[in-house]
Amino acid sequence: MDQFFQQLVNGLTLGSLYALIAVGYTVVYGIVQLINFAHGEVFMIGAFGALSTYLLFFDGQTGVWILPIMIVGAIIASVVTAVAMERVAYRPLRNAPRLAPLITAIGISVFLQELVRVFYDRIPFADFPSAKQRIPFPQLDGVSGKAVEVGDVTIQRSAIFTVAALVVCAILLWYFINRTKLGRGMLAVSQDPDTARLMGINVDRIIVVAFALGAVLAAVAGVSQGLQNNNIDFKMGFIAGLKAFTAAVLGGIGNIQGAVFGGLVLGVVESMATQYVPGQFGGGTWKDVWAFVLLILVLVFRPQGLLGARVVDRA
Amino acid sequence: MSIPTLPDAFVEKHAAKGWPVGLAGVALVIIGTFMSWSFDPNILGDLSVYGYPGGLQILAIILSLLALVLLLTVKGPLASRLGQWLDAALGLRALGLWLLIYMVGVILAIATDSSGLVNVDPGGWISFVGAVLVFAGSQVIPLRELRDLGRARLPGWFEIAAVAVVMAGVLFGAAYALAREDAWSFVLVLVFAGGTVAAMFRTGTMGWFGHVATRRRKVLTLAAFAVAFFFPFTQQGSDANMSIATSVLIFAATAIGLNIVVGLAGLLDLGYIAFLGAGAYVASSLSRSAFATIDWHPPFLVIVLLGGCVSATLGLIIGTPTLRVSGDYLAIVTLGFGEIFRFSMFNLDGNNGPNLTNGPNGIPGIPELAVGGFNFGDEHVVAGITLGRFSNYYFLLLLLMAFVILVFTRLNNSRIGRGWVAIREDEKAAEAMGVNVFGLKLLAFAVGAFLAGLAGTIKAHQDGATSPDQYIFLESAFLLAAIVLGGMGTIAGVLLGATILKLLPEKLRFFSEYRLLLFGLTLVLMMRFRPEGLVANKRRLLEFHEEDEKLATAVESELVEEAK
Amino acid sequence: MQQRSVVRVGASLIVASLALTACGSRSEDGGGGTATKTAKIGVIAPLSGDLSALGLGIQHSVELAVKQANDSNAIPGWKLEVDAKDDEAKPDVGKTAATSLSSDKDVIGVVGTLNSSVALQVQPVLAPKNIVQISPANTNPSLTQGANWQSAPKRAYPTYFRTCTTDAVQGPFAARYLFEKAGIKKVATIHDKKAYGQGLVGTFTEEFKAAGGQVVAAETINPEDSNYQAVISAVKPSAPQAVYYGGEYPQAGPLSQQMKAAGLNVPLMGGDGIYDPKFITLGGKTSTGDLATSVGAPVDTLESAKKFISDYNAAGFKDPYAAYGGYSYDAANAIINALKESLKDASDVESARPKTVEALGKVSFEGVTGKVAFDQYGDTTSKVLTVYKVAGGKWATELTQDLAKK
Repeated sequence: MDQFFQQLVNGLTLGSLYALIAVGYTVVYGIVQLINFAHGEVFMIGAFGALSTYLLFFDGQTGVWILPIMIVGAIIASVVTAVAMERVAYRPLRNAPRLAPLITAIGISVFLQELVRVFYDRIPFADFPSAKQRIPFPQLDGVSGKAVEVGDVTIQRSAIFTVAALVVCAILLWYFINRTKLGRGMLAVSQDPDTARLMGINVDRIIVVAFALGAVLAAVAGVSQGLQNNNIDFKMGFIAGLKAFTAAVLGGIGNIQGAVFGGLVLGVVESMATQYVPGQFGGGTWKDVWAFVLLILVLVFRPQGLLGARVVDRA
Repeated sequence: MSIPTLPDAFVEKHAAKGWPVGLAGVALVIIGTFMSWSFDPNILGDLSVYGYPGGLQILAIILSLLALVLLLTVKGPLASRLGQWLDAALGLRALGLWLLIYMVGVILAIATDSSGLVNVDPGGWISFVGAVLVFAGSQVIPLRELRDLGRARLPGWFEIAAVAVVMAGVLFGAAYALAREDAWSFVLVLVFAGGTVAAMFRTGTMGWFGHVATRRRKVLTLAAFAVAFFFPFTQQGSDANMSIATSVLIFAATAIGLNIVVGLAGLLDLGYIAFLGAGAYVASSLSRSAFATIDWHPPFLVIVLLGGCVSATLGLIIGTPTLRVSGDYLAIVTLGFGEIFRFSMFNLDGNNGPNLTNGPNGIPGIPELAVGGFNFGDEHVVAGITLGRFSNYYFLLLLLMAFVILVFTRLNNSRIGRGWVAIREDEKAAEAMGVNVFGLKLLAFAVGAFLAGLAGTIKAHQDGATSPDQYIFLESAFLLAAIVLGGMGTIAGVLLGATILKLLPEKLRFFSEYRLLLFGLTLVLMMRFRPEGLVANKRRLLEFHEEDEKLATAVESELVEEAK
Repeated sequence: MQQRSVVRVGASLIVASLALTACGSRSEDGGGGTATKTAKIGVIAPLSGDLSALGLGIQHSVELAVKQANDSNAIPGWKLEVDAKDDEAKPDVGKTAATSLSSDKDVIGVVGTLNSSVALQVQPVLAPKNIVQISPANTNPSLTQGANWQSAPKRAYPTYFRTCTTDAVQGPFAARYLFEKAGIKKVATIHDKKAYGQGLVGTFTEEFKAAGGQVVAAETINPEDSNYQAVISAVKPSAPQAVYYGGEYPQAGPLSQQMKAAGLNVPLMGGDGIYDPKFITLGGKTSTGDLATSVGAPVDTLESAKKFISDYNAAGFKDPYAAYGGYSYDAANAIINALKESLKDASDVESARPKTVEALGKVSFEGVTGKVAFDQYGDTTSKVLTVYKVAGGKWATELTQDLAKK
C-alpha cells in the first residue's frame, strides 16, 4: 500500500507539471482552433530563462528568495517567445488551410530547439554553458535537498513546489477568466469569435493574451521541471509538450478545468503503469507507450475528452 | 516572385544604352575568364591559369554566351526570327542578376578560402565588372509584347530532341555538380543551374517546354528514367555520391507513399516513418544477421511482400481512428503512434518484453542482399565502368521507384484518386455524393504504408543495420517537409523536395551545425510565402490562393481542356 | 524558316559549349612537387551532444599523437593526417561516418568509437575494406569475441582492436570491490539498455551473485528521459545498499542526484562511462561517495603518462583529454607503429591496408597507460583497473589493481 501512495505522489507531481503546460494548449486551441505544437518549446525556453537569470545575477547563491526572481525571468522569456511566434508565424496564416499552421508549428518547434542548442553559449556579455549537453539547474535551499518523509512515503521538496505552483496558478487563472474583463473576453471569443468581434472585443488582442497566458504557466512548469530533474536540455520541450497535449485532449481540449484534470490523470496513470503493469511490459521504459495508448483510446472512443470539450473539432 | 524594376521613365531614357552596355559586359566576362581569377591555385579547383579557363570559368562563359544570344535576339541577327517568341528582355534581367550573384559568390569564395580579397586576381575583377555591366544593361532594355511561346508548334522530332537534350543536361549537370568536392564549388554550380533555369523561365522557354512535356509525357518519363539509369555510370565507381543517391531514392519512395496520404487524401500523418521502420525491422529480424531474432529466412521476395503487408496492417490499425477523429486530432494520433512504434522497438530486447528488436542497439550486421546468385555486395564492371554495391542497390531502388510512381499515378487518375480529392476538399459533401469515405481513408493509409514498408525492407539491407533512433519524429517531419517543400500531390515536387533535403546537407557539410535551424526556418517561411510548394499542383495552388481570380479561370480552362 | 533558325542557334550553342569543355582538360598536378604521400587516420567519436566531452578528448589525443609522429618524421615519405567524424553517440550516424571514411582511399586506420553500440555498426563497414579500427573506450566483450563470447569466443572482425579492457573484466571487478572491500551485500542494478550498459550490468550481476551477494532489484531506464522518479520508487522499497548503474554520465549524474533527493541515500556505482567530471557537475553535492571503475591506472599518476599530459597541455587544445585521452593516444601510436612496418615499401594506402592489420596484431610497446599489445581477439593484454570515488567535488583514486597478474 505504501507503494501505491508513493506512486500516487509521484503521479500527482508529474501530473501537475503536465497540467501547467496543458493549459497553454487548451487556451490557445479554445480560441483559434490551433494546436500550437511549439508550446513545448515555450516551456523549454522558460526553463532556460530561469537558468539565465540565475547565472547572470545570482551565480553560486542558494537562497530561496532567488526563486521568485527566476520565475519572473522564466515568464519574461516564455511570454516574449510565445507572443513573437504568434505575431510572426501564426497571425499571417489565420485563414490558411489547416495544414499550414500545423506545419509552421513543427517548423517553429525545430527552429527554437536548434536556436537554443547552437546559440545559448554564444549569447554576448554572458558566460553561459553550452546547451549541447544537459545543463545542471541551480538547487536552491528549501525547494531541494532532503526529502520529506510521511510514513514510508517520501515527498521531494521540489514536488511540493510543483503541486503548490499548480494550485496557485489554477486559482489565479480561475480568477482571471471569470472575474476580469479580459478573461471574459476570452470566454466570449472561444464561444463565438464572430459575435465577439461584433460586440467590440478586439479578437487579435485576445489571441495574444491567450498565447501569453499559456506561456506564463509553461514558464512556471519549466522552473518546476528544472528543480525536479536538476538538469535541463534543449530537447526537454518535445516529449513534455506531447504529453501535455495528450493531457489537454484527455480532459477535453478547449476546457481549462479539463486540462488540469487530464494532466493529473495522465501523471497518475503513468506512475501506476510503471508499478502495476505486470511482467515485462511494466517498468519505466514503457510508461510513455502507455500514455500514448491512452491518448489514442480516448480520441477513438471519447474524442470530446473526459470532461467534454468546449469546442467541437471543426475540421 | 517578381524582380523589382527601375521606374519606367528611367528605363525609357536610357533604353538605347542597354544593348551596348550588355554586349560590353558579355565581352568583359569572357575576357576575364581567360585570365586568372584566383592567386591561390588550390581554391575552387585551380582558377589561376592564364589563357585556359577552368571548370567554374567555363560555367561563367556559358552564362554569358546565353546572355549574348538573348542580346542578339533583342537587336541583331536573331531579332527577326526569335525576337517575337522569346522574352529576351526579361530573360536578360534574370541572367544578369544570376551572373552577378555567381561572380559575387566566386569572389566571396576566394576571399573566405584564402586570406582576403587580395587573392582575387585581375581576371576575377574583370569578369565581375562584366557581370555588373550585363546586369545594369539588362535593367534598361525595354520590355515588349510577345506571341505566346506555348502556341509555337515545332516538328515532333524537335520536341523529342528538346526533351532528350534537357534530360541529358540534367544528367551531366547532376554528375558535374556532385563531382564538386568543396562546398563553395558546389554552391556555385547550383547558382549556375539556378541562373540557367531562371533564364529559361523568364524567356518563356520553360513554359514552352512545359507544354511539350505535357504533349510528350511518355517520352519525358522514359527520358527521366533513362537519366536515372545512366547516373551510376557517371560516377566511376565512387561510393560517396552513390550512397547519397540511394538514400535519396529510399527517402523519395517513402515520401511518395506519404504523399498519397497527405497530398491526395488530405490526412496529415506525423508518424509515417514508423511504416518505413516496420518494413526495415521485418527484413532485419528475418535476415541472416547474427543478431536477427527470428530463425526463419525466406527468400527476399517473400520478405519484401511481408514487410509491405506488416506495414499495411499497421497502416490499417492507425487508420481506424479516422472513422471518428479528423484534422489536427488525427495528426496527433499518428504522432503518438510513431512514438509508440519507436518506444516499442527500443524496448523489445528481452529485458522489457520479448526479444524481437535487440533494443536500442538494433540489429547490426545484416548481410548483403543476394537474389538468385546475384550478390548486391559485389562490384561489377559494365562497359569499363565499375559499379559498386551502392549502384546495385540503386538499380533495385529505381525499380521500386518505378513501381511506387506507377501506383501513385494509377490511383491518382482513377475513381479512387478522385474520391480522395473529394474527401480532402469536403468530407461531408463527398459522403453525400456517395463516396465511401471511411473505406477510402483506410485504403490511403494502407497503400501508403505498404509502399513505405517495401522501401524499408530494402533499406535494411542497404544500411546493413536497423536501430530505433533511425525512426524518430524528426524523420517524419523531414518526410512531410519534402512534400511541403516540393509541392503536395505531385511526383516531380516530392522528388525535388527529397533531393534537396537529402543532398544539400551532405554536400554543404560546413553548415551541418545549422542544418536543422535552417530546416525549421524554411518550413515556417514556406508556409508563409509559398504554401503550395516549389512545384505546385494547379488545383492545390488555387486552394492556397483563393482570391486569385485569374488563376481560378486558368485552372478551370485547363481542367476543361483535360476533360476534352 | 523560323524553326530552322531555332535549331541552328541551339546546335551552334551546343557545339560551342562542347568545344569549350573538350579543351578544358587540364593536368592535375599543377602546383604539387613534394614527394610525401598522405595517409589518414580517422576518428569516429561523439564530437557534439551529451558525450562530446569524452569524444573531443579522443580527437585531440589522436591529433597530438599524429602531430608528434609527423614532427619526428616517424614514417619517412609519408605525412599523416587526422580526419575526425562526429557520430553523435548514435549508431546510425556512426555508420554514415564510417562509410565516408571507408570510401576515402587515403584512410588507413580509425580510432574510435566511444560507444559499443556505435562500434557494432562501424565494424562491418570498415572490415571489408581492411581498415584497422582501434577503440579506446568500447568495453563490450562481444565486439572482439563475438556474440557468444561467454560460451564460444570467436574473433568477430580481424580489423578490430581495443586499448581498454572489457566489461567481462570491469563488471566483475566492480562486483568484487563492492562485495569484498566495501562490504555491501545487497545491490540494485539499473541500466540504459544500450550494449555498454547492459553488458556491464550483466557481468556485474553474475559475479556479484557468485560472490554471495544479492541483487534485490533490476530496472532499466530510457536514456532520453531526464526524470527517473518512477525507477527510483521501484528500487527504493527493496532497500539496496548500493545501486550499480550501467550507462553514461548524462543519465547517471541526474540519477544520482534524484536518488538522494528521494531519500535513497546509498552510493551509486558505475563503469568508465560515468568516470567524468561532468558526472559530478550533474550529480551535484550529494554525489559525494559515488563510485566508478575505469580501465587502466589513473593516467595522471603513471610515470609514463606525465609526458603525455604535459604535451597535451602544451599543445593548447580547448578541451581536456578526459577519460579516454590516454587510451586514444596509445591507440593512435599503435596504428603509427604498425604503419612504420606496413607503409615502408607501400606505393599507396589501399594496398598497405591488409599489411597494417597484420602488423597491428604484433605491435608491442610501452604506452601512456601501460604496455600496449593485443591478444588473439584484438583485446588489450593489459588488465589494470581502478576504482574512483567522488570526494570534495572530484574523482579520487580509491584502488588500482592489475587483474592479469592475479
